[in-house]
Amino acid sequence: MTEPEQALARARASADAMRASGAYGDDLAGFRIEPTDTVTPQRLLEWALIEPDPANLYSTRRLGAPITFAKRLLLRGLRQYLGEITAQQTRFNIQLIAYVSRLTERVEALEQQLAQPPGEQVDDV
Amino acid sequence: MVVHQLLSGAGPVDAVTGQASAYRKAFERWGWGGSDHAASIDPRVGRAVKPIENLRAQPDDILLLHYSAYGPRLRPLLELPNRKLLISHNVTPARYLWSYEPLAAVYCSVGREQLPEFARSVDVAAGVSEYNVAELVAAGAAATAVVPIVFEPPVAGAPEPSTAEPHPPNVLFVGRITPHKRHDLLLRAFALYRRHRAPDARLQLVGETVSPAYGAAVRALAEELAPGAVTIESGIAPAALWQRYRAADVFLSMSEHEGFCIPLLEAFSFGVPVIARPVGGIPEVAGDAALLYGGEDLAIVAELLELAVSDRELRTELAARAVRRLIAYAPERALESLREAVLKTAARS
Repeated sequence: MTEPEQALARARASADAMRASGAYGDDLAGFRIEPTDTVTPQRLLEWALIEPDPANLYSTRRLGAPITFAKRLLLRGLRQYLGEITAQQTRFNIQLIAYVSRLTERVEALEQQLAQPPGEQVDDV
Repeated sequence: MVVHQLLSGAGPVDAVTGQASAYRKAFERWGWGGSDHAASIDPRVGRAVKPIENLRAQPDDILLLHYSAYGPRLRPLLELPNRKLLISHNVTPARYLWSYEPLAAVYCSVGREQLPEFARSVDVAAGVSEYNVAELVAAGAAATAVVPIVFEPPVAGAPEPSTAEPHPPNVLFVGRITPHKRHDLLLRAFALYRRHRAPDARLQLVGETVSPAYGAAVRALAEELAPGAVTIESGIAPAALWQRYRAADVFLSMSEHEGFCIPLLEAFSFGVPVIARPVGGIPEVAGDAALLYGGEDLAIVAELLELAVSDRELRTELAARAVRRLIAYAPERALESLREAVLKTAARS
C-alpha cells in the first residue's frame, strides 16, 4: 500500500524509472497559457488594434439562438458606427504606444549618457 | 437583525451568487430580514436578486458585501453609515486573463488594487479561507474572520457500482474554463498518462466557458493531444454533475489560483481521489486528503494519476481522510462562522 504521504516520492521515482527506459520524452507542443507578468511592446501593439470577435456576441439563455441571431443582426446594422468607435480607440492606442516608445528611447539615451564618464557626455539627447 | 447582501454580479452558475443564496436561506431560518441586490443580474437568476438601485437600507441594517472583482457600483455603498461586513471570495490575478478575457482582466486588476479600500472601510473583513484572510490583513483590514464556503454535500457519497468493475480510467476536472485553471497543463498531463499508462483513459472537463476564444483553444489542444478522449461540458444540471463525479476514478486540478476550490469538497463527497496543486486555499481545504504536487514535471502528475487510479488501498485511505475534511467543512460549521461574523459586525461601534 502507498500511504498518501509517500505517494509523491513514489510517483517521482516511477517517473524517473520510466524516463530511464525511454518514456515521457513526448513532444507536447501547442497552445500554452503564458501569464502576462510584463507586457512587451510587441504584445501592446497587438492589443492596441481593437478587433472584437463577433463570436463573443451571443445569448446565454437555454434557447437563445434567435436572440443570438437578433443581436448579431443589430451588430451588422451598427457596423459603420461601431467601426468608427473602434477606429478612434485604435488611433488613440497606437499613438499612445508610439509616444511611450519615444519616451523609452529618450530615457535609454539619457541612461547611456549618464553611464559615460564626465567630459564624454553629449548634450543633444 | 436585518442583513442586506450586495453583489457585483449575479449569475445562475456563479459561485458567489450560490453562496449569497445559501446565506439568505440561513438568515431566514434565524429570523433575520433583508434583501439581496446586484449591480448586474443575469436574466436566468430571476427575481431572487434585485437591482442595486432598489436597496432601501435603514441605518441599523447590516450590509454584507461580497467581493470577487472590481465593483464600481459597490464602492458608493462604502459611504453609507451602516455597519458593513465584507466577504472576500478572492480576486483572480489579472496576469492570467489579459490575453483571453481582457474585460475580466481589467475588473480583476482594478479589483485587486481596490481591495485595500474595501478592507479598510468595512467593520469586519472576512475571507472564505485563511489564505483570503491573509490577503485582507495585508490589505489593511482591522478586524477579520474566516467564513468558509457553505458547502451542501451532494446526495450519495458512494461511487456507482459500475465503477467497481474493470473499466477505462475516468479523469475528471470541474471548474470554469478560464486560463488560471490551466487546462493546457491538465491536458498535457492527461496525454502523458494516456500514452504511457492508460491508453484507453478518458478525461471529462466540466465548466462554463467564459471566453469563446479560450474555449476553442482548449478544445483544439484536447483534440491534438488526446483525440476523441476528452469531453467538455458546460451548463449541466447538478444531477448530471453528480453523475460525472460518481463515474470518475480521479479528480485532477492543475489550477494555479483558487481562493477555496469547492470541487475538492465535491470530489471528497463521492470518495474520488484528488490530485491538485498546493496553491491558494487548496492546501487548507484539502488537508491531508489529497495528493498535492506543485512542481512542473507533468510525468510525475501522470504517475500520480496512475497511483490514484490503481492503488486500491491508497484510494481507500484518501476516501477515509476525505470524510474528515467534509466534517471540518460541514455547512452548519460554515454558517456558524457566518453568524459570528455578522454578530461581530453588529457589535462594532
